[in-house]
Amino acid sequence: MTHSSAPSSVSPSSVSPSWVPQATVEVRAVSKWFGQKVAVSDLTCAFGPGITGLLGPNGAGKTTLLRLLVGLLSPSDGEVRVLGRDPRRNPEVYRSLALVPEEDAVYGFQTARQFAAYAAVLSGAGREAVERAIATVELADAADRPISGFSKGMRQRAKVAAALVTDAPILVLDEPLNGTDPVQRAHLITVFRRLAAEGRTVIVSSHVLAEVERMADRVLAIVDGKLAAAGDVAAIRRAMTDIPYRVRLEADEPRRLAAALLDTAAVDSVALAGRILTVETGDLAGLGAAVAPLARSLGLRLSLFEPEDLSLESVFRYLVRGR
Amino acid sequence: MKPFAALVVGTLRQQLGGRRLLLLLLLGLVPAAVLGVLLADQQTAIAARQSFHEAPLVILFFVVLPVASLVFGSGALGDERRDATISFILLRPLPRAVVAAAKLLGAWLAAFGVVGAGAAAMAVVLGVRSGDWAPLGPLLLGAALSCLAYVSVFLVLGYLTARAVLVGLLYVFVWESGMTGAIPSLASVSLMRIGLSAYAGLVPIGRVYVEDILGVVQPGAGGAALKAAVVAIAAVGVMTLLLRHRDIA
Repeated sequence: MTHSSAPSSVSPSSVSPSWVPQATVEVRAVSKWFGQKVAVSDLTCAFGPGITGLLGPNGAGKTTLLRLLVGLLSPSDGEVRVLGRDPRRNPEVYRSLALVPEEDAVYGFQTARQFAAYAAVLSGAGREAVERAIATVELADAADRPISGFSKGMRQRAKVAAALVTDAPILVLDEPLNGTDPVQRAHLITVFRRLAAEGRTVIVSSHVLAEVERMADRVLAIVDGKLAAAGDVAAIRRAMTDIPYRVRLEADEPRRLAAALLDTAAVDSVALAGRILTVETGDLAGLGAAVAPLARSLGLRLSLFEPEDLSLESVFRYLVRGR
Repeated sequence: MKPFAALVVGTLRQQLGGRRLLLLLLLGLVPAAVLGVLLADQQTAIAARQSFHEAPLVILFFVVLPVASLVFGSGALGDERRDATISFILLRPLPRAVVAAAKLLGAWLAAFGVVGAGAAAMAVVLGVRSGDWAPLGPLLLGAALSCLAYVSVFLVLGYLTARAVLVGLLYVFVWESGMTGAIPSLASVSLMRIGLSAYAGLVPIGRVYVEDILGVVQPGAGGAALKAAVVAIAAVGVMTLLLRHRDIA
C-alpha cells in the first residue's frame, strides 16, 4: 500500500500501486477546481479489468473523479484517457463506457423497460440486450411499471440495467448500492463481480468500507481530492488497526485522573476540556480494564467512558496525516 | 428507431406530460374564445376579419406563442439538467449536434402543437362565422416560424440558466413587446415579427391590420422562413459547442 500518488513526470506503472498494467482508464496528474475550491488535486491513477473500489468520505472528490473519467467534466490540469482516447472529444468512447450516476437520473414517466430501451436505442444496442439487462438486475416483474412509482433501490437497478444494455467493457458506478436493501445489495454485488470476472473494468465508488470490501480486490482511497491510499482491501484494513482510538472520559476531578492516566502504559495522550478528558490509546481493551480500578483507587467518580466513533472519515484523515 | 427520432420522441414525452400541457392548451384556446365573443354581434365578413386581426391575433403572437415556446424550449435541455438526466443522453456515441438538433425539433413540435392548435381554432372560428378561410394556412405558417425562432433561443437559455423562464419572460415582455415596438430600427431582430411578416406576406389584407398593431413590417414568407432557419441553425451550433465544452456538474 502507498500513501502517495505517482509523480506525473515519470511512468506511473513502475512507481505506484495506484497504477495497473493493461490500464483501460488512465488518469495522469489530473486536478479539477471549481472557482477557489479544489475538488481533485494532482491525481494519478489507472483502472484495469476487475473491480476497483473508489473509497472515500462524502465530499472527498469521488464523484468529481468519476465525472472526469466519463468526460462530463474536463480536467483543469492533467489528462484522462479511456482506451487511449479523450472522452471529451470522442463520443465514440461511449460505445465502450457506461455510467451509473449517483443521482436519480431516470425519467419518471417511462417504465423500466422503456428506460433501458431508450438507452439501447441511443447507444445502438439491440432489443435483446434490453431483456437481458432487465433480467440481470431482476426487474422483470416490475419492468412495465412507471419508474416514478419505484423505490430508491428499484430505481438504482433500473439505472444499472440501462448501463448494462450497452455491453460496455468499462462500467463506472457511482454509489450504486445506495438505497438498496440487503438482498438487492447482495445481488448487485454478485452481478458486478460477474461482470469483472468477464474481463470488464468495473469502477465502483462508495463511502462504505464494508461494501467495497465485499466487491473490490483493489481500492483507491481518496480524501480531500487527493489519493490517500491505493492497494488491496486487506492493506487498508491493516492500516486501520494502527489508528489510535480516542475515548472520552468524565470524572469529578478530571485533572487528577488525567495525571494518573498518563502514568499507565495503555495511554498515549490525554487532553482536558472542562470536565471531559479525551484519551488517545492504541490499546482500547487495556484502557477499559485499567481506568475503573484507577478511578476507584483515587476516590473519583467516573461518569462517562465513551469511545469516539471510528468513522471511515477518521480512518482516511489518519491515512492522509501519515503521507 | 434511430437515435435522433428516439431523442425527439423522448423530448416530446418529457415536455408534454402532466398539467402544464393542459394549462398551455387552455391558454392556446384563449384567442379563439375571445374571437368567438367578438364575433357574436358582428354581422359582416369585413367586421369579422377586422376583429380577427385585433385582440385575438395580438394574444396569439404576444402571449400564447412566446409563453409556450418559452416553456417547451427552455425545458428541453433545462429539465434534463435539473433532473440530472443530461448524462443519460450525453454519454452516448452520438455527435453533440445530433443531440442539440433533436432537442430543438422535439421542443418545437411540442410548442407548435399547442400554438398551432390555438391558431387553427382561431382561424376555424373566423371561417365558420364569415366563410373566410384564407388566414388558416398563413397563420399556421407564421406561428410555426415564430415558434421555431423562439424555441431556438429559449433552448440555449434553458441550458445556461435555471432561471430561464424568468429571464425569458423579461425578454418577451420587455424586449419583444416593448422595445422592438417602440424603436422601429430594432424591429428586424424581433422573433415575433418573423411569423407576423410571413403571415402579412401571404394574406395581403392582413398586412394592413398587422401594421396597425406593429408599425411597418417587411412582409414575405420566404424571408421569414430564412430568418427562422438561420436562428435555428445558429442555436444548434451554439448548443453543440456548449454540450461539447461546458462541464456537466
